[in-house]
Amino acid sequence: MNDILVTAMGILTGLGLGKDETLQSLINQNSAIGELKHLNTIHSSLPVSEVRLSDKDMLSLLNYNPQNPLTRTTLLGMLALREALEQAKIDKDTPKRIAFISGTTVGGMEKNEEFYLEFFQNNSKDEYISLHDCAASTQDIADYFGGFDFITTISTACSSAANAIILGANLIKAGYVDIAVVGGTECLSKFHLNGFNTLMILDKEACKPFDKNRQGLNLGEGAAYIVLERMESAKERGVEPICKLSGYANTCDAFHQTASSPDGQGAFLSMKRALEDSGLSAEDIDYINAHGTGTDNNDSSEASAIKRVFGENPPYVSSTKSFTGHTTSAAGSVESVISILALKNNFIPANLNFQTPMEDVDLVPAQRTIQLPNIKHIMTNSFGFGGNDSSCIFSKII
Amino acid sequence: MEDLILELKKEIIEVLNLEEITPEDIDSNAPLFGEGLGLDSIDALELIVLLEKNYGIKLENAAQGKEIFKSVSVMAEYIKNNRKK
Amino acid sequence: MAIYIQSISQISIQEPLCDNWFENPIYHSQRYVPSIEPNYKQYINPMSSRRMGKILKRAVTTSLNVLHERKDNEIDAIITATGLGCIENTEKFLYSMLENNETLLTPTYFIQSTHNTISSQIALELKCNNYNSTYVHRGISFESALFDAFLQFKLNKITNALVGAHDEMTKDIFTLYDKIGYWKKGDICVETLRKSETLGSFSGEVAVSSFLSNEKNEDSICSLAGMNILHKPTKEKLEETLKRLLEENNLTLSDIDAVLVGHSGDKENDEVYSKTKENLFNDIPFVWYKHLFGESFSMSGLGFYVGATCLKKNIIPKHLVFDSPKEILNPKHILIYNHFQNSEHSFILLSKC
Repeated sequence: MNDILVTAMGILTGLGLGKDETLQSLINQNSAIGELKHLNTIHSSLPVSEVRLSDKDMLSLLNYNPQNPLTRTTLLGMLALREALEQAKIDKDTPKRIAFISGTTVGGMEKNEEFYLEFFQNNSKDEYISLHDCAASTQDIADYFGGFDFITTISTACSSAANAIILGANLIKAGYVDIAVVGGTECLSKFHLNGFNTLMILDKEACKPFDKNRQGLNLGEGAAYIVLERMESAKERGVEPICKLSGYANTCDAFHQTASSPDGQGAFLSMKRALEDSGLSAEDIDYINAHGTGTDNNDSSEASAIKRVFGENPPYVSSTKSFTGHTTSAAGSVESVISILALKNNFIPANLNFQTPMEDVDLVPAQRTIQLPNIKHIMTNSFGFGGNDSSCIFSKII
Repeated sequence: MEDLILELKKEIIEVLNLEEITPEDIDSNAPLFGEGLGLDSIDALELIVLLEKNYGIKLENAAQGKEIFKSVSVMAEYIKNNRKK
Repeated sequence: MAIYIQSISQISIQEPLCDNWFENPIYHSQRYVPSIEPNYKQYINPMSSRRMGKILKRAVTTSLNVLHERKDNEIDAIITATGLGCIENTEKFLYSMLENNETLLTPTYFIQSTHNTISSQIALELKCNNYNSTYVHRGISFESALFDAFLQFKLNKITNALVGAHDEMTKDIFTLYDKIGYWKKGDICVETLRKSETLGSFSGEVAVSSFLSNEKNEDSICSLAGMNILHKPTKEKLEETLKRLLEENNLTLSDIDAVLVGHSGDKENDEVYSKTKENLFNDIPFVWYKHLFGESFSMSGLGFYVGATCLKKNIIPKHLVFDSPKEILNPKHILIYNHFQNSEHSFILLSKC
């Protein structure tokens, strides 16, 4: 009765708008990684996973004509959130205490990198200045839908959305809200693309997570939110729960600002503590949706940590970043939605482009979509720069 | 060669912001990474950009740096043979 | 379950790493005031500080200062509030990218530009593998970070936490925010901030770290008795939340010695406080701090520090009292009431322990 349930979710990535398009792409093994279209950069030969919709398309889908400009991050978030709120039957008049917690990292950079020099030369772009910080997207999204009693923004790089999930669950458990709408949103920006490029960790082809010959990651963009509440609230509101959030943990690798420790100490602890939090044992987990960026360092480190937690025969592992690219701040909720789709529809999503096992750690991911009779528990990992590692476990309601 | 080594040491101190270190403190033949100066993977990436910016040498991937950045002498030798400016 | 503030330390536009401002505050007249920097060398070794911007040096220093001799992994949670993160490095990377048309970029400014660099740098210095997070929601960043810790204490997930608020103010950001009305147009003084007819405040910088624990000992400064954050609350909702917060602590409004507010000299901002005073607080004296510390997204972290310092010293000095020029002796309960643009509102109750 005290379980934290997931009662709705919404998603927008290169795979498409909504759960149905996402599910079809996953099952059919259609990756969204391809040519860059919207972002104006000299690195246009780098493969990415872009949301196909332009900003204008998104405004028209939202049927929205805002007074002030909105960032692409905000628009992605609005579309993903709309799907989640509709499924959860939440509107601005829902008589419950509702939190909205969103994870994001570079704020309005995608607009400001276009106008930054102009800001200092004239006043023509001043309406973009207040979009500079991370809270701008959260605030604009919350204002658009209305009805939230608490909002905040988390930024822990690529685990931001996972930490939004964790805060939301804690808020409900401590009795401060009834419902928590949690996740993250991030669009592609030149800032991010160039930043990752200076680290020389962008693959010039589609990424190959956990492959011996992996060359790095592909950036992606997207947004996803899930709705958390207790059974009592769901029943009262006539909403059908999808699954439960049975455990979670947040840890820090504390090894290096960008590199993961060779034995994956932070990752090891986040998986181990999430298991402890859920009361499950390692054998109970049917599938691990890995962080699996496709960089040399992450995949070795994560694979070592998986072995340390799950032993020589770990459950199925795959990185769905081979479908969506690395959606950075949104990855935690994007991959939670993907994991929940897998849980609900009883399949293991593929780890695309895998050919050759790594030499240093013996871990072979699932290479194609695998249908399984009854998946009960799924773990999803989200690790960020600075060693911000988080793991969440989703389970079927029995 | 000695001039290039000194120039290189000054450049390394500047780009890596090694506040308390002077060129005399850096042994030309000591390893830059690990036990020597104690540099890390981010420093290696900074040095890759230094090669491109100051000497017109472009490395394709970070792994190539491993051999070149063994010590200041090795780096200078590589620059002498490959520099484009 | 009680939460105690064990130690708290600041670097700001007042004298750093001490409470000298309490007796001898510095009154600034400029609208852009950078922090007074301490000597960082005794806290951070040069090999590790060489990549750090100012914000990181300040964050690491205030953190180490409150933690004293604590060892690896004794800290259960490191939680940071920052409105703009490592903005100096963000600007450096951005300029370099725009000026060189996306070529010849180096990684250091990028990796030291993200908001979570602060919390993770502290974890690196402490070799702490535990909970680590960062809140970036404008004027409610600090309350969000503190609330995260507060909830985890309540749920028995942690026994202690390092909670900080860190924001630097670069010339560029000052200029940009000047364009959208954050700062006053000329020089400032306490009286123009107290009764202001214009918008904007003056800019300060924030570095404050606090160490919280569920164990009371001789070092305990005061207790964090309760808190809550609300988004666009109605008058009734605000009142009801305050009532519940007091009830949970067996208090009534008359037990509150002072309400510490974020009055900043910005007319619109200050009107919200005056209105809430009429509605909720009546005669309870208002206490302010932004006239000494300036304005910044995570400035309420310094408000938390000011409130705790008053309880520690058993007095609220005259220069902090907003309405009547009289010191308040032996305060027992200080309520911190903060709002950001009348959108986010928060209460934090600090009590003598």
